[in-house]
Amino acid sequence: MSTPVIETRALARTFVIGSGVTGSGHEVHALRGVDMKIAAGESVALMGASGSGKSTLMHLLGCLDTPSAVEYLLEGREVADLSPPERASVRNARIGFVFQDFNLLPQLSALENVALPLLYRRGSSAVRQKALAALGQVGLADRARHRPSQLSGGERQRVAIARALVGDPAIVLADEPTGNLDSVTGAEILGLLTELHRAGRTLVVVTHDPEVAAHTSRTLLMRDGRLISESTN
Amino acid sequence: MSLLETLMTALRGLSGNKLRAALTTLGIIIGVTSVITVLALGNGARAAVEENFRFLGSDNIRITSRNKLDNDELVPAGETLSYEDGLLLTAEVPLIFRVAMSVGGSARVRHERAVLDMGVSGVTAEALDLLAIQGSVQPVDWSGNGLLFGSHLLAKGRFFTPLEVLAGADICVLGHKTATDLFGGDDPLDQSIWVNRSRCTVVGVLTELETTDPSMRLRSRPNEALYLPISTAIGNLFDGEPSVTLTAQVSDEGRMEEAKTQVVDFLRARHEVEQKLDGSYEDDFDLMTRRDVLGAQQESARTFSLLLAAMAVVSLIVGGIGVMNVMLVTVTERTREIGVRLAVGATRSDIVAQFLLEAVVISAIGGLLGIGLGILAIPTAASLNDGIALLAPGSIPIAFAVAVLTGIVFGIYPAIRASRLDPIEALRHD
Repeated sequence: MSTPVIETRALARTFVIGSGVTGSGHEVHALRGVDMKIAAGESVALMGASGSGKSTLMHLLGCLDTPSAVEYLLEGREVADLSPPERASVRNARIGFVFQDFNLLPQLSALENVALPLLYRRGSSAVRQKALAALGQVGLADRARHRPSQLSGGERQRVAIARALVGDPAIVLADEPTGNLDSVTGAEILGLLTELHRAGRTLVVVTHDPEVAAHTSRTLLMRDGRLISESTN
Repeated sequence: MSLLETLMTALRGLSGNKLRAALTTLGIIIGVTSVITVLALGNGARAAVEENFRFLGSDNIRITSRNKLDNDELVPAGETLSYEDGLLLTAEVPLIFRVAMSVGGSARVRHERAVLDMGVSGVTAEALDLLAIQGSVQPVDWSGNGLLFGSHLLAKGRFFTPLEVLAGADICVLGHKTATDLFGGDDPLDQSIWVNRSRCTVVGVLTELETTDPSMRLRSRPNEALYLPISTAIGNLFDGEPSVTLTAQVSDEGRMEEAKTQVVDFLRARHEVEQKLDGSYEDDFDLMTRRDVLGAQQESARTFSLLLAAMAVVSLIVGGIGVMNVMLVTVTERTREIGVRLAVGATRSDIVAQFLLEAVVISAIGGLLGIGLGILAIPTAASLNDGIALLAPGSIPIAFAVAVLTGIVFGIYPAIRASRLDPIEALRHD
């Protein structure tokens, strides 16, 4: 079997809360040792109630956060060994984020939002063409010049997905991608994500909606900072 | 991210709140305006020094009649300086060995059908040499090599002799254009012309002159001139005794102060200036040496510059704090944007560059406006400072650099703060 895209061993994250004047804050264990493997091309749902640690896990997987106790291999490389600029470059090139509330920059057009990851990449060329192609993939080529405020919720999330795709990442991490959308639009977005997965991308979706999880091939259930069960859909 | 992309991002960030950016630049604008003006004053003072170096030799005392304001009119404060004062000064003041004198008036000048109403100067024999030494004019196409003497300024004939000046001879010397205006192509030498109601013979014509300072060329007309011996001019142009300007030459340059005292004593005695009860005199004349002129001008320019420099520093600090304040607000407002940028792969230094450049763009725009305003403010500064303020060419890049530097100094803290944001927190920010 080839190297998994994501492999964690005893991944933990502890926050210290209220460390003020006394210096004796109390610790919150958001993650208490997570072991998981995700192979290339898989699609996985991370489920759990709020506070179960699924968002923290996703932030760690996306290299937005630093684990307290480590072992996280991304494509076989130990993430903890990376310097901050290297981690930025991993986020840029290997990971695509899709957020619940889209997180598009309001002052930029759809095309410019999509192009953003390429602008932060050293030596990227044909930025415009690549961004247009990504917009085409999500069916919004004709909305390139629109601002986010001129787009519907579903269209905004499509733009966000195009932004996640444009850099050709190894993994797409989606955090409640349908959470702010009505069911019809949500279904469209899910369809789009499924399509991407079929085209060969690794997909990790954080959700508490079983229907969303049903679109993926494997569901990991979390509680109190641990993986408690795993099921194949 | 490339510099161009970063600049575009910064401009876009600013265009989101134009009014705020404009208000922020105000402090910078005032600061940079002051910088430009300070440097212009310094430059003006330096130019004035150079100008006066020509204007007055270091062994000269310029003596003029003092005027006072009476019902908004300038009138002589007492007795005016006369031709006789000048003659006696040479004879009776030991340290003065020569006095050049001049009066200015206007007359109707006529030769056959040509009539000119023009300014006429009554001068002494050394006038041409003085004109050459002052260096404010030079012959057209003068190579600039070697010393300029009075003889270089003559195209034809000669200037007056001291004896002719004393005797009030009916002779004159014409400026180049005046000669052409009166005589067309004919040779004016030994011809006679009418100056008011008396005849005089042309003994010399000046060569074509231009002012050495190119910026003066539109205003001054050095070639429209008619010189008469001063005694002739006094009899011919004036009903009474005109006010004569004296330039006394001191025999020993090391004893200027002593010479001044001698001149003052002599003139007070001659004009019967009475001593007041408090021991001071109400003189009807003014003495001026090169040192007096330069000292006064430099002193006032320095005081004024100091004031403006203080204003520049204060307004740049205020402006800089304004920039910092606005940038801190901007960073808070755009926390989520920063989170998004970090998530898609911006490094900390990309974020620093973006917000630093925004601060620099604000202050650079303020700098450019300030430079414009400063250039416009120079005439005002000049009028508040005895007319000496000249745009220093080097001041424009200096002022711009000061503005940019202010942006960097006050923009770095907000930019670093932006870059230190936790991406997860930033993405959750509303």
